[in-house]
Amino acid sequence: MNMLQRFLLHVLLGAGLAHQFAPALAGEPEIALREAYTQPLPGLGETDRELFFRGRSVFRQSWVVAPANDRAAGLGPLYNRLSCISCHQKNGRGRSPDGPDERMLSMLVRLSVPGRAADGGPKPHPVYGGQLNDEGIPGIPAEGRAAISWRELAPQTLAGGEKVALRQPQVSFTDMAYGKPGKMLYSLRVGQPVYGLGLLESVPAATLLAMAAEAKPDGVKGSVNEVWDAAAQRSVVGRFGFKANMPNLRQQSAGAMLGDLGMTSSLFPAENCTPAQKACRRAPSGGHPELSDADLDAVEFYLANLAAPPQRQATDPLVALGARVFAATGCTACHRPSLQTGPNERFPLTANQSIAPYTDLLLHDMGRGLADGRPDYQANGRQWRTPPLWGIGLVPLINEHSQYLHDGRARNLQEAILWHDGEARIARMRYAATPKNQREALLAFLQSL
Amino acid sequence: MKNPLNPRRRRFLATAAGLGSLLAAPLAAPLAASARTTGRQPVVVVTSYNDETFSRFEAAFEKANPRYKLQLVWRMPHDALPYLRQPAQGGADVYWSASPRTFAALAADGAWQPLGIARDGLPENIGKARLSDADGLYTATEMAGYGFIVNPGALAKLGLAEPKDWRDLTAPAYAGQIVMPIPSRVGFAPVMVDILLQAYGWEKGWATWSAIAGNAGTLMDRGSTFVTDEVASGRRALGLSIDFFAVAAIANGAPLRFAYPAHGGLNPAHIAITKSASNPEGARAFARFVLSAAGQKILTHSDIHKLPVRPAVYRELPAAYFNPFAAAEKGAFDYDGELGRKRLGLLSALFEQMLINSHGELVELWQRLHRAEAAGKNVAAARQLLESPLISAAEADDPALQRQFRNRLEGSDPGSAGASELVWHERSQANRTAAGRLLQEMGA
Repeated sequence: MNMLQRFLLHVLLGAGLAHQFAPALAGEPEIALREAYTQPLPGLGETDRELFFRGRSVFRQSWVVAPANDRAAGLGPLYNRLSCISCHQKNGRGRSPDGPDERMLSMLVRLSVPGRAADGGPKPHPVYGGQLNDEGIPGIPAEGRAAISWRELAPQTLAGGEKVALRQPQVSFTDMAYGKPGKMLYSLRVGQPVYGLGLLESVPAATLLAMAAEAKPDGVKGSVNEVWDAAAQRSVVGRFGFKANMPNLRQQSAGAMLGDLGMTSSLFPAENCTPAQKACRRAPSGGHPELSDADLDAVEFYLANLAAPPQRQATDPLVALGARVFAATGCTACHRPSLQTGPNERFPLTANQSIAPYTDLLLHDMGRGLADGRPDYQANGRQWRTPPLWGIGLVPLINEHSQYLHDGRARNLQEAILWHDGEARIARMRYAATPKNQREALLAFLQSL
Repeated sequence: MKNPLNPRRRRFLATAAGLGSLLAAPLAAPLAASARTTGRQPVVVVTSYNDETFSRFEAAFEKANPRYKLQLVWRMPHDALPYLRQPAQGGADVYWSASPRTFAALAADGAWQPLGIARDGLPENIGKARLSDADGLYTATEMAGYGFIVNPGALAKLGLAEPKDWRDLTAPAYAGQIVMPIPSRVGFAPVMVDILLQAYGWEKGWATWSAIAGNAGTLMDRGSTFVTDEVASGRRALGLSIDFFAVAAIANGAPLRFAYPAHGGLNPAHIAITKSASNPEGARAFARFVLSAAGQKILTHSDIHKLPVRPAVYRELPAAYFNPFAAAEKGAFDYDGELGRKRLGLLSALFEQMLINSHGELVELWQRLHRAEAAGKNVAAARQLLESPLISAAEADDPALQRQFRNRLEGSDPGSAGASELVWHERSQANRTAAGRLLQEMGA
């Protein structure tokens, strides 16, 4: 057992969390860590709890093919999964398949062709749209499937002699039902964690703009994305999604409802069928819109009020050392340990507080290795938004895998670090040159988040 | 880092150079995607399993059977019935769900073809309940057990021990502390009503239900997760529930316990292959997989926590995992699901009129009754009025009456009350009014 494994065992047992393997321990915390991504923000009142639970039901709802004697009617005609929770299992992180014979269960592929759509975003593929829908309701052919193979890259040596081999995804599209797609841009996406988003929404846009304007060390820059706000009908600062291409939680939710589930809403009232998909356009509708405003309100409320798990074992000497190494390595230039939220009348529990999300919500050039070559509003094909790191240490316990980055290519946190390039190149190089014991401390710190 | 000859600096540069080459050369642009056809044949499964359950089966089945891909059509049981009665059965190959009544109703329609799967290692019965259909058209794939989700801390504060059976819940100390699902709205609840009635008999059964309803602080019109939430929050001490939501929450660390009553019951889920299946071999492969040791093991994941129907699977599980086959040998599962099935709709309707409508009034009457009894007053007549069933056991056996409520599947819209229900409503109100008058006369 190495130092890191010993530490992980210590964290799990120290917090009384060996539930999978042993009876409950005395003095265990009331909220178990496997449910750590599903907890409301502290202070939710009785009436709000009702709305929170309703939103949770919507998030977990398996939607139904129309027509149906069910309020949940409206799935598809083309879709990826039946419910939000399918790709955000236990509100956490999705994963990529292990090989080409395994289907994407919590992952999707964004599609586009060169150019911009009318709203400034990516131009959808004329036949397959903005996203590959690998399911269709009975009678409507699914668009196809994307299969992933992994190519192992030559191992590299870190300071002290540790060898690490990274893997790179290779995509093939199979069973494409609406003709050969031709040349297109595509980008893989695993389901992202959905906790703590209300707090991130309450970080003022001015804060993002100010962070972007700050001078930063090591060649780090950072810029805001400017994206289309469908409700306000204007361009605003983007903050959600791997490319910060979504302005707010409501649009993020309604967009995913349409793109992933085929559920129309008042924000996006048209089904996601392209003109070429004639049977799709003729399929029965589950209502106009299929997702009621009350359900959209509820799911927005639920997501806005989901707490991020607090850090554990912060005073452990290894974790404390790891936090210092994390800062000294330069990670905190983008993975900011502290942000201040502003006022928020709609979701007051998120307002005016200091949070520790370990993100700046800005776009950064992450180099060619991670580039998807697919522009998204102001984000170019090499830029990605700094993902929040809060709760990241619980992924193995809650989501039962340890895949990271937008396409799950990193099989552990160290691999994720080693994929950093571009603006993060210097920080990654420092990490690689850091002695093993300090690297392990940094990883232990990440596991404590 | 300022000294270029610093050994750490040299290591930094050497390592950095190596990684630089790693991240540059092979990754210049997205790789061209190829397109091909896999020819996986779809197996269309109509189910009401949630995603946490189904997606694990989907991943494992497709991995083990690369010839097939699963297509899931999600339908609540009340909605699965019309779906599977469509022409060509809506394109479904398989129906897999926890709704014995739907399977039986569709079997009567001639909707299934023989399963045709070897049953090695799969018993035909557990206690008095059949696990496979007598005609070999469908078979149980897993079971859920009925019982009590309890908050040990809240029970201790009330000075109550963990209940052993349904009757324990009639104790006055439980007043306001029970979460009770509404049988007409919550899928698992009608069978729960019947378990108690079969265990204690018609008269004593309804008397017990009335007292439990009198102690209910929350009537739940939604699923068992909400029962668990109420109890986990400490707002109520105990919930009437089915085991898997609660036990999954416990396995994930919730500070709760699940108690199986001495008079228990099991609600099986079944699988069947449709008569018009366009992929019967794929359907059979899926059914075989669900019943295999590998499939049955998936059911025991801490996020699912169902009870496998393959007894051998329990040998590999922790001792704390409830083994219904062992419990059945001790007589815990004498509940006869076949016997109850025809009357579940009727029972829900009776429950609604006697205990759910005017629930607040019922609670108040039971509290007055408990106080009077504690004070030594003879209020037996009032108690009898509160406990009396709205119809006799013989009347409830009337097939014509049962037929009126046969389509009241869980979650369906009950529509407006029929003539019988209006009569029961009046009878129930009269009983409560009379009980209240008697209590008043006794100064209670």
